[in-house]
Amino acid sequence: MRITFQLNGKRIVCETAQNRTLLDLLRVDLGLTSVKKGCEEGECGSCTVLLDGMPVNSCLVLAPQVEGSRVTTVEGLEDDDLMVALRRAFMEDGAIQCGFCTPGMLISAYALLSENPNPTEDEVKTAIEGNLCRCTGYVKIIEAILDAAERMPVE
Amino acid sequence: MRPLPSFNLHRPKTLREALELLQSLEGARPIAGGTDLLILLRDGAIQAKHLVDLGQVGELRYIREADDVIHIGSMTKHSQLIRSELIAEKASVLRESAMSTGSIQTRNRGTVGGNLCNASPAADTAPPLLVLDAKAKISSMKDNRIIPLAVLFAGPKINSLSPDELLTEIAFRVPPANSGASFHKLGRRRSVTLAVVNAAAYLALEGDLCKEARVALGSVAPTPLRMTPVEERLEGRKLSKRLINEASSECRDLVDPVDDVRASAEYRRDMACVLTGRALTDAWKRARGNLP
Repeated sequence: MRITFQLNGKRIVCETAQNRTLLDLLRVDLGLTSVKKGCEEGECGSCTVLLDGMPVNSCLVLAPQVEGSRVTTVEGLEDDDLMVALRRAFMEDGAIQCGFCTPGMLISAYALLSENPNPTEDEVKTAIEGNLCRCTGYVKIIEAILDAAERMPVE
Repeated sequence: MRPLPSFNLHRPKTLREALELLQSLEGARPIAGGTDLLILLRDGAIQAKHLVDLGQVGELRYIREADDVIHIGSMTKHSQLIRSELIAEKASVLRESAMSTGSIQTRNRGTVGGNLCNASPAADTAPPLLVLDAKAKISSMKDNRIIPLAVLFAGPKINSLSPDELLTEIAFRVPPANSGASFHKLGRRRSVTLAVVNAAAYLALEGDLCKEARVALGSVAPTPLRMTPVEERLEGRKLSKRLINEASSECRDLVDPVDDVRASAEYRRDMACVLTGRALTDAWKRARGNLP
């Protein structure tokens, strides 16, 4: 079936199967490899993308369900000030080990800071509760998100 | 790599279209947020020739108050319950439970109707809605009927709806001023966890006396369950720590838990009493205005 949606700011028209997940559509069909395939059951968060601005597990969304919606992945936030600050903080703070969870972490962190520019440590922990890091580097990830928040100019 | 089995996906825009599809299609299942259903489909635990996606049925997504009754459309997401000022102000017990459900990602997809119809014994929104004495509106092409929420739960992962029916609304009376309610959940960790035991309690006071008590537990029986004997033990009596402890300890004989990967039945029996005690204690504090 044919679907039309907005992907990273651009209108996309593509063919997809009714039982295709948004994860497979983005990663396999459209080549957006920031969207990682981990557990495929909504536990690990490595496939997290923004759907109409809200973080969701793309493994638990059917591709046809995004008809008419806005989907955003890390690739679409390349030049976004907040994402640039997050990426820099993740690198400088060593919040990346193997890197597999990183795009999902960045999306969850981005969603948090977009809504709450000055979160507490507990709020950061809640924001990434749905993202597993199997290297268990949570301490540095939390520090990086707090650092990025601190570095963003107050509007 | 486990592809989903094939199915025909239908995306109705109105409730009427959705009900027509459910009535006319053989082997159709409604899909709400999909956070449970897609996993069950992938695992082969359930089959569906047709999926009727309710995601575009906007008329099932609302939270409103009318004549002292709060109405929640079944497609309201957990994240919408959490953000609702009405729920925060008048039914915070439901907000507490929605916040403890899944992760941010699943709360942005999962709906209250889906959580209830999935009929997990551990469904987090069930105990609070049971103690709020919620009614469920069930719709089909034939008619609408209102049932007490407890009647929706037929067994573990089994709801009482027929294939052409949908849960369309949850409604409950706004709790009175001299009342309080609380939700407690014990999991194996704090976040993204299924309950070992979850509990909700509601108390309405008349002076020192307990005018009305309601207690409901999850994950301790084939369905979420009201603890009527505990409630009867409290009603009409002067509340005290001791009375709450005595009443809570009755849960031990009322529950019918299983041993599973999350906990033993024996541990669940103990924790049913402990969590009931905690929920009642906090409900009592809230009823007296001593707890936000």
